[in-house]
Parts: sequence; structure tokens; C-alpha cells
Amino acid sequence: MLSLIAREIRDNIVSVALPCLVSALGITLAIIFALSRVRGGVFPPTILFTPVLLLALCGLGASQAYGDRANRISSLLATLGVTRNRIFAARVLAGLLTVLVSLVPLAVTTILLLWMFAPPLEFYGRMVVAISLTVLLVAVACYCAGLLVGWTTSKAWLVAGSVLSLMALVSLVVIKGFGPGAMAILLLFIGATLWYAWHTFTSASL
Amino acid sequence: MNDYPIVVEDLVKYYEGRCILDGVSLRVPRGCIYGLLGRNGSGKTTIIRILLGLEPPTRGRTIVLGQDSARLSAPTHGRIGYVAEGHHLIQSYRVRRLIGLCRGLSLHWNEEFFGRLMETFRLPLDRKVKDLSTGMRAQLNLALAMAIDPELLILDDPTLGLDTIARRQFLELAIDVIQRQGRTILFSSHILGDVERIADRIGVLVAGKLVVDCTLEELKSRIKKLRVIFPDQAPEDLYVTEIVNQQKQGREMVLTVANWNRQKQAILETFHPESCTEVPMTLEDIFIECTRPASAAVPQESEV
Repeated sequence: MLSLIAREIRDNIVSVALPCLVSALGITLAIIFALSRVRGGVFPPTILFTPVLLLALCGLGASQAYGDRANRISSLLATLGVTRNRIFAARVLAGLLTVLVSLVPLAVTTILLLWMFAPPLEFYGRMVVAISLTVLLVAVACYCAGLLVGWTTSKAWLVAGSVLSLMALVSLVVIKGFGPGAMAILLLFIGATLWYAWHTFTSASL
Repeated sequence: MNDYPIVVEDLVKYYEGRCILDGVSLRVPRGCIYGLLGRNGSGKTTIIRILLGLEPPTRGRTIVLGQDSARLSAPTHGRIGYVAEGHHLIQSYRVRRLIGLCRGLSLHWNEEFFGRLMETFRLPLDRKVKDLSTGMRAQLNLALAMAIDPELLILDDPTLGLDTIARRQFLELAIDVIQRQGRTILFSSHILGDVERIADRIGVLVAGKLVVDCTLEELKSRIKKLRVIFPDQAPEDLYVTEIVNQQKQGREMVLTVANWNRQKQAILETFHPESCTEVPMTLEDIFIECTRPASAAVPQESEV
């Protein structure tokens, strides 16, 4: 399994590195903004970089699925001692790892900076946890949507599908707000897209 | 141990409304080299892809090494070597990296044998797969398939793009594999000379139907091509069953018949032919006769 995950990361190194770079840039700017006491503190860079990060994660999912189909990678792997389920699991694990690596440091930095520089208000803590969890779920949902729309041979559908998915997910958060309602819908969305992506991959011609 | 590493039962495959395979059934015994023949688009690659679980069947089922192809486990996959038509290796990889990947994912890897093959083929390890010639890609694919010491080797037109010497090397390797006890090979090819040289059982697919499935010797003894000269105009119908092909010109009739026997000869003699001579047939001749658009299926001996 480890060699399959390593292969996924290495084959999609640009798509894996991009969210991590965006996250690193966001962290750096948030620290600079907080230290220089800019109005709004850590929020402007975080708010600015999160949608870019989400788009990059959607791109990662799409790149994994599209690259696999275009280069017929699974067609070769499936004839070795590997099942399609394991190939799919390795792909998703590599994606989730990237989501965590790019998002957790950004969330932790934001929480720490708020704790250090924001006024000591009790609701901040709860708000930050709700926002972080919702954004994490949106990120996973974006990645899963990318995985689904990437299973195509049309580049136009790939781009349109990725952008539309991102817009739909961000709209959901805008309408429902950060909290349990949005999280429940996101969890359902993640479950459904993962199941459908798995079903498509395991039943398709390779 | 399964006596039949490959079992195909009433296999039907439709693709975009077109029938690719029409009720194919066959069994490949252990230790057999089975040559699957057919014209382009006759369904050879589709059968192989279904066997490997790369393609779902519309109806019917295939069993490989005792397991349903749709649910082949990783250990079973690890016992099958596969060389794909067109050699679909990961084009963006360097040869060294591809070998590393296959070695890492294979359950069994015979480093000594693989090293010997690489030495024979002299493949450049630092070149990208897409920069290799077709022949080199075929050799790499074959070496990777053989390195796992496969119990079952499936080769889909493996000699396509190989020069004469590389083709000869391949055939020798195939024989080398079969000489290890209990190994089975299923291969499709357009080069009938290769098939004739190494296959001991033949299957011929015509428009998705398996019209021949028997040993090479049986096939040669069952199909007869006769040149018959009649005193007058050749008759319209000879009332002989299982005529694979028939051409008539004036007094002469050339007919290819399956399962030629005394009964059929007696029927022919009722037309009082002046002469009846047998035309020797190679596998290529038989293949051409069987795959002509008008030809009928060659029935199994039990049906006669």
C-alpha cells in the first residue's frame, strides 16, 4: 500500500505541492499581518488563500483521476498483484494526506495567532473550531469532487466540473454558515462522491 | 490445482450496441499453449481483457486460475503475466522506475531470470518508456511479464512490432516458460507461422463467435480442401453438410469441408466426379477459409 501511495504522490507531485505551497504562503502572510498589527489581523490572508487552496485540492483530485485515465496507469497496475480497491484506496489516502498537510498547519497557525493577538473573547474559540472543521470538510469535499469530475477524457468538462463543484460547495457554506448543519451536508456529499468515484473506477473498463 | 486455468462460459459482450462476443465458450487445459486467432475486430483482445478483469462482460463468465475474473484477488493476479496489445506501459516513466514499480508491486519476482532477459534485450534503463521503439517496448513488457514466474501467461499479439530476431527470441522464451511444469500460455497473434510453431491448441474467432477450438493436428485433419472436376457443369448443391467454403467455375469446384468422412465422400460420388484431389492446407490456408465472410462455423466433432 505504501508504494502505491508513494507512486500517487510522485506521479502528481505538482498537484500535491501546489496546495502545500498555497498553505505555506497563507501561513507566512497571516504571521506577517498579525505581527504588523494590520487591521483584521490574520483573517485577510486566511480568507484570501482558503478558496485558492480549495481549488488546488479540487485540482489534485481531478489530476489524479484524469492522469490515471489518460496514461492508462491502472490498466497496468491492475494486471500486477494489485486489486482495483487497493489502487483506489491508495489514491484517496494520498489525497487526504495532502488535504491534512496543507490545511492543518494553516488552521493551527490561525488558532495560535488568534489566541496570541485577538481579544480574549470566549466565542472566538468555538467559532474558530467550527470554521476549521467546516473548511476541512469543504476541502475534502472539493478533493472528492475533483476525483469524480477527473474521470473523464474531456478537458473542458474537467475544468468546468471542478469550478462548478467548488462554487456549489462554497455557496453551501455561505448559505448554511459554519457549523453542524453545513458539516452534516458536507459529510453526506463526501460519502456519496467517494462511493460513486469508487463504483465508477471499479466497474469501468481500464 | 485447476485442470483448466482458463474457463470461458457463454461469454457475450456488447459495446455501444454492437455485439463483440457472441456466446463464446472455451477451456484451456493446464500446460497448454493456446493460440487465439481471428481477424482485426473479431474479439480476441476483448476476451483477454475480460479474462483479466479489465473489462466487464455483458453476459456469461470467465474463470481464471479458479477465480471469477470479475473478482480476481491480488495473489491470483500475481500469478498471471500479461503482455498487452500495443504494450500499454506508463509512458512518462523511465524504464528503471517502471521496473522498480513492477518489482515493488509484484508478489513474486525472479531477479535472476529478469536480469538475464534484460541482458538479452539490452534495454536502456535511463530512457523514458515513450522514447523506446515499439520493439523495445514489447521486449520490456515481455520481460516484466516473465519476471513474476507466471503460472499463466497471457499474450495479446506480443510479437507485433518485433523484428525477426526478437520474434524468434520471444518464441524461445515462451517455450522456456512452458517447459517449466504446469505453465499455461494463451496468446493471440496475426503471425500464423508463430502460432503454428508453438501452439498446441487453436481457437479461431470470427465476428465474435468461436468457430474452431481444437488441437492443431485435429484441425488439420478435420478440414479438407478438395478440388473436384465433374464431367459436365458442376452441380449447384452437393448436399454435403459442413461446407466451410465453396467456389465453382465451369466443371471445377473447390470446396473446403469440415469433418470429412466416408459418408460425405459417398454423397460426393453420387455426382460421378471425373476426379477428386485433396489440396494440402497450411494453418494460414485454414485460417483464411474459416474467416472468410461467407464461411460457416466449423462444428465440433461431437456434433457430427
